[in-house]
Amino acid sequence: MIRTFFALALLALSTSLCAQDDLFDLLEDETPQTQIVYATFKGTQLINAQTNETPGKGVLQYVIAHRFGSFTDDYLYNFLGLDNAQIRMQLDYGLTDKLNIGIGRSSVFKVTDGFVKYKMLQQREGAAHFPFSLTWNSSVNYRGARFTDGIDHFFSDRLSFQHSAIFARKWNANISTLIAPGIVHWNLVPSAADPNTTFHTTFGGRIKLNKRVALTGEFSLMSNPSLSDGTTFTVPGGIGVDIETGGHVFQLHLSNTRAMSNPYWMSRNTFSALDGSLFLGFNISRVFTVR
Amino acid sequence: MKSILLSFALLLTAQLSAQQYLTRQGNISFDAGSPLEDITAKSESASAVYDASSEKLGVQVLMTSFVFKRALMQEHFNENYVESETYPKASFKGLYKEGRAVGTLTIHGVSKEVDVPAEIAVQGEEASLRTEFPVTIEDFNVEIPGTVREKIDAEAKIVVDCTMKLRK
Repeated sequence: MIRTFFALALLALSTSLCAQDDLFDLLEDETPQTQIVYATFKGTQLINAQTNETPGKGVLQYVIAHRFGSFTDDYLYNFLGLDNAQIRMQLDYGLTDKLNIGIGRSSVFKVTDGFVKYKMLQQREGAAHFPFSLTWNSSVNYRGARFTDGIDHFFSDRLSFQHSAIFARKWNANISTLIAPGIVHWNLVPSAADPNTTFHTTFGGRIKLNKRVALTGEFSLMSNPSLSDGTTFTVPGGIGVDIETGGHVFQLHLSNTRAMSNPYWMSRNTFSALDGSLFLGFNISRVFTVR
Repeated sequence: MKSILLSFALLLTAQLSAQQYLTRQGNISFDAGSPLEDITAKSESASAVYDASSEKLGVQVLMTSFVFKRALMQEHFNENYVESETYPKASFKGLYKEGRAVGTLTIHGVSKEVDVPAEIAVQGEEASLRTEFPVTIEDFNVEIPGTVREKIDAEAKIVVDCTMKLRK
């Protein structure tokens, strides 16, 4: 009897002592929590490819992008290619934290584009774990350049479309990848033998070197990389560096592309790095909080 | 035999009288802004615990629970400044004594002994903690790059406002 009491008393003592020591354990929340994975990529685009990121609600983003001349084209005479720059300007706005709309203008074929980007799924950690993010991106592109075939073209002949589903995953704080299957549709193709719609898959990734600098790379494959007239298209790709400073993201890169509107770089790229068609380029984004 | 019973009863009452107060919806905000940039954030899910008998006080907050006005600023806060993935929590563990909180403040994985004015008002089944104190950001190894140094105050003013409920 006495022994039992002793045992009980000891037990009570030990638990009460425990309770004292573990007061701070109460700070830990036992209820499982879910955390949305943020900052999979630094920018809303990688090099040419769109990432899963959108600017937040009420954020106006201005992107200016250049692709300089080729290394093989009188490089010093053309001041490292700067004299032959192709440019694209983009203005976009975050209507919500997930929905982003924007317009852009590229000098290659004088293309004006409009796009919609929507974060359909977001990678989550914790209780409601979800392994990847999915963002939809659609663009309509209007060719402003005059046709040289002497035919009076319809407005619709100038249009091309691109849709892609961007699957992205942040593997850890430093490594993120994306795979973006999608289609490009041209209202006008050179001949009836050429498909209007081609299938594309873009692969991209980044490795952070430190908190504000990351290495990036991307390439994109297409289903019909040639036209009936004998034109063959190369695999567009590039490697780059992302540098982030406050509200700016600087992206400097080497790629084999000069066009920057989606259908044009994805499915009409004829430059090959193997022939020395490698171009220095940059994207600079600046965000303004409007709301 | 009697003495054992007595001590057991004593122990039991001592345990019952331990007055512990707890919340998981505490407010913590901070202001590290300057005339150039408004940098304020607030968390409404801080945990706070206070034991009136032992005077122990603990406060803890998830860094990712701080909400900023600008999404990008919030991202940069977590990604570039406090490195929330590596150091997910900030905490204070110590004692509350005569209007002061004395103990260890841990932010960004760096622990510092602090002694700051604080106020705990116990009213019925509630104990409310309020304190306001500055921390020097560099003390906690949070790196501020030169390009934004004028925009961020070297000292962040932290305001803690937690209403804890008696644990039963």
